[in-house]
Amino acid sequence: MLKLHDVTKTYAGKSEVNALAGINISIGAGEMVAVMGPSGSGKSTLLNLLGGLDVPTSGQVVVAGTDLAGENEKERSLFRRSKISYIFQAYHLMPTLKVSQNVALPLHLAGMATGEIDRKVARALKDVGLEARGNHLPDELSGGERQRVAIARALVTDAPLLLADEPTGNLDSARGAEILELLTAINRERGTTIVIVTHDHNAASACARLIKLRDGRVEGDSGVAGGGA
Amino acid sequence: MRFLLRTLSLSYVRRHLAKTILTLLGVVVGVATFSSIESAKETLVKGIRSTVDRVAGKAQLQITMEGGVPEGVQEQIRALPGIRATSPVIEQIVTPEKGELGSLMVIGIDLLGDREMRDYGFEGDDADLDDPLLFLAQPDSAIFTRQFSEKAGLKSGGSIALKVPKGVKKVTARGVLTPKGFAEAFGGNLMVVDVYAAQDLFGRGRRFDRIDVRLDEGTSIAQGTSVLEKALGPAYRVETPGKRGEQIEKIVANFVAGFNVSSGFALAIGIFLIFNAFNVAVNRRRRDIGTLRALGATPRQVQLLFLAEALVIGLAGGLLGTLAGTTFSQAFLKMMGQTSETLYGVTSSGVVRLPPVVVLQSMLLGIVASLIGAWGPALTASRISPTEAFAKGAFQARPPGNPAMRIIAGVATLGSAVLMAIKPPFGGNPFIFAELLLGGAGIMLLVGPLARLLLICLVPLVTRCAPVAGRLAGDTLLGNARRTSGTIMAMALSLTFVLGLGGYMGSTKKALERWMNDSLTCDLFVRASANFNRPDFLFPGGLRDELLQLPGVKSVESFRATRPLYQGHQIQVTSIEIAPLLERMKYDFTQGSVETMRRGLTMEGKCAVSDNFSRRFKLRVGQSVELATPEGKVSFQIAAVMRDYGSDQGTVLLDRSQFLRYWQDDRVDIYDVSVLPGTPVGQVRDLIRVMLSGRYPALVSTRQEFIAEISKAIDAFYALTRVTLFLALLVAFLGIVTALLISVAERTREIGILKALGALPAQLARGIVQEALLLALVGLVLALPAGNLFASFMEGPLAELFTGWIMPHLYPWDILVQLLVALPLISALAAWIPARQAGRMKIVEAIEYE
Ligand SMILES: Nc1ncnc2c1ncn2[C@@H]1O[C@H](COP(=O)(O)OP(=O)(O)O)[C@@H](O)[C@H]1O
Ligand SMILES: [Mg+2]
Repeated sequence: MLKLHDVTKTYAGKSEVNALAGINISIGAGEMVAVMGPSGSGKSTLLNLLGGLDVPTSGQVVVAGTDLAGENEKERSLFRRSKISYIFQAYHLMPTLKVSQNVALPLHLAGMATGEIDRKVARALKDVGLEARGNHLPDELSGGERQRVAIARALVTDAPLLLADEPTGNLDSARGAEILELLTAINRERGTTIVIVTHDHNAASACARLIKLRDGRVEGDSGVAGGGA
Repeated sequence: MRFLLRTLSLSYVRRHLAKTILTLLGVVVGVATFSSIESAKETLVKGIRSTVDRVAGKAQLQITMEGGVPEGVQEQIRALPGIRATSPVIEQIVTPEKGELGSLMVIGIDLLGDREMRDYGFEGDDADLDDPLLFLAQPDSAIFTRQFSEKAGLKSGGSIALKVPKGVKKVTARGVLTPKGFAEAFGGNLMVVDVYAAQDLFGRGRRFDRIDVRLDEGTSIAQGTSVLEKALGPAYRVETPGKRGEQIEKIVANFVAGFNVSSGFALAIGIFLIFNAFNVAVNRRRRDIGTLRALGATPRQVQLLFLAEALVIGLAGGLLGTLAGTTFSQAFLKMMGQTSETLYGVTSSGVVRLPPVVVLQSMLLGIVASLIGAWGPALTASRISPTEAFAKGAFQARPPGNPAMRIIAGVATLGSAVLMAIKPPFGGNPFIFAELLLGGAGIMLLVGPLARLLLICLVPLVTRCAPVAGRLAGDTLLGNARRTSGTIMAMALSLTFVLGLGGYMGSTKKALERWMNDSLTCDLFVRASANFNRPDFLFPGGLRDELLQLPGVKSVESFRATRPLYQGHQIQVTSIEIAPLLERMKYDFTQGSVETMRRGLTMEGKCAVSDNFSRRFKLRVGQSVELATPEGKVSFQIAAVMRDYGSDQGTVLLDRSQFLRYWQDDRVDIYDVSVLPGTPVGQVRDLIRVMLSGRYPALVSTRQEFIAEISKAIDAFYALTRVTLFLALLVAFLGIVTALLISVAERTREIGILKALGALPAQLARGIVQEALLLALVGLVLALPAGNLFASFMEGPLAELFTGWIMPHLYPWDILVQLLVALPLISALAAWIPARQAGRMKIVEAIEYE
């Protein structure tokens, strides 16, 4: 499903930063992987590359058979639309849109018919237990609820790969646990490949595999022995 | 896309209503200026044209001559082959004593012989004039249209007072016309009188304004024209009414074209406001854009979203602007109509109808302006990388482009524009508008980087005076380079326009005043007509001797001006007794001298021409001007070229003896009277008034009064320009308000923290006022050289192209002083709302602000 080959990422600027320095990872379809590491170790950078939000300075990022490093902006956008969904620490919901509209957003971007969208949105909201809040604005929800809206937005496209950057970082441990449960269920029931970047040991233990990063290198990978499926 | 627009954009608009309205206002003001000027123009020009057409009736040809067609001509042509009917016409625009009725067009025709030419749909009990002879026997008889009669409350037999050259005169309604065909001319404000009564009423002597001709069936227009031209000679013009209307339309259209510059500026400034607003919107919505991109939106989709928003704003702004425009256009039409009446003796009356073309153009302009303004920001938005959705903390906008490159490009374009203006590449100046565009582009390129440099220099100075407020203001302005340069751009453009156009107006006025002081040198001016350009009454030539006999009169010269077409331009041919004139007048010669002029004009039958005539037609001393006279074509050699602002198309000056000889028309526009030394001018004036009273309309003015009157006419000419200047300032004001409101909104969080740290509302307000002042100051500093350049351009190449004059440049100090007083006040006022908003901000909410 996912293959990183000798990936490096250097940020040019006042001083050069080697955010990733030669990463080789392979993740199989249906895996649920946690990525941990101290702040600044390159976790988010890694996730951005996996999602095609950014391109590596060198190396290959092959996702579902496509080398994202060789694709242009538009190709990567279209790829993202069908193959990848995101969950962010800060939710990144559109503050001016209602919950249901937020969830519907990626489907509208893909140009889906309205009737079908309504159906899918209703199902996704039901899956995260928010069917009653469709007409609220994000500001009117609690943090945990907001993150569930974000998950619904990620589910609605049926993308095979779900990337989550510190999804529980802004939540208390009880709310965090709920979110993790939801993600685990998704992985189990739908077979969605999930990569979670996290600081949270509870989160990490919910995953079958743990990858540790330090200074832009893989420090440890619990799944290497078993290899990618 | 529709979903995004309906949900995302609309909800953004709802949340930032004030800002959206201000953006919209930018388009509305721009489009309203354009559409009001344009529809007034259209109505004026079309009205003039249709009046010519309607009044012409069934006439196929019209015979005119500068100065009028002598009565005898009608006899002369009546018997020519192919002529079916001829009918004399006199046309004159008068105002009723009740001014609110609007100008009234008086048409003098031969009631007995005119039925062949025009259909008179009389109405009422007497479906025709009962007794035409009775009508004619009473010289105060007039026929009105039903429309006008109703408006004026006129019954058959009732009377109405009109201001005519001889004073206020009552006429009696003795017939009503159905408003159809001919009677719809001039918006129905029409009065028909007997042509001979009109001759007397309007001092036409034994002349008509024109003779309308209808041809026999089977005679073609071309045949008829050639027969008439052969019989009458070159001084007469034989044209179809359509052609004549076109001529008049062209002259007026040329005059109103000047207002295109104003509409253009209004729109350009509107574009900057939109550019600014969109830039800010893109900045504010960066995070949302990043999220959208992360969810799979392509760069194109993001760009299209913003362009679609611009389209909606353009549509709404275009529509509102067009509507708003109709409310001003009536006033514009009135101003333009008055000016065109003063300048060309033609005008049209009626209600401004919004021509569909103008609606379409305005809408299109609104849309195009919005799209242009939003293009750059939309592109920026599409380039926002999705990872920015992840970036924590506020995003700092990068300064646009490479300043060095922009400065180089700006200097290059501006430089080439100036070079092209100074040394036109192919003789003439075919690229005059390209130069204007190029210069504008150069200035726009330069404004951004220069504004930044200026701010970097100014901020420390301001900070020294007001440490806290100054630093706050400076940081904000420098921190968001794009917004700042957009605002300053709009500001600088408005002020450039104000300084440039104002400077041009001032220079022109000063040049004219200086010229009047040098050339209008006698003690009293005796005129029959208040209108300088189209006299509605002329004195007989014999009056000079009577004036000379009055005690205290030293000398009298007879000034006469006609305005014939010369190579398609309506030039002015003036004549006066040259020898005594040269005794008292200081001409500024560009070729020849007083001596060559005196000798040439009085003894050798030559002429003198104005410098703009010489430049426009490329004629120098020694070459000849060929003028069409009733005697045939006559060549006059040029003896001298002098500065003269009598006509924007060029003046040819002849000695009176030459004019009398070739034109055989001794009527006089103005008698220039000089008084014997020691005699009080007032006393002579009273004597002249007594002598003329009851015989002729007479306006006797002293030199000062005469000059003041002409100055007033010049001021009226610039009234519309003044309105556009005001609009430019309004737009500048809007620009500052928008920029500040946005700046406050963007710094909500920062302001909240400052307040939490104990900043007082007054301190914050001072910072914002300081910001406004800095914006205005930088805008003004940049506009100073740009405005000067713009003024020089208009005084030089542009004025030369349109008038042949090169106006001496005078710096508009008065305007600068006014701006220096008004700008700080305006900027402080503009800062008031945002400052209050900042002061009232709730700390907790502000800090939570995302
Ligand atoms: N856009 C950027 N420009 C420059 N440096 C960056 C950028 N994004 C991340 N970095 C740097 O790259 C390194 C890795 O960052 P990141 O992947 O965000 O770390 P993590 O998510 O593990 O905290 C850090 O040192 C960070 O400062
Ligand atoms: Mg991170």
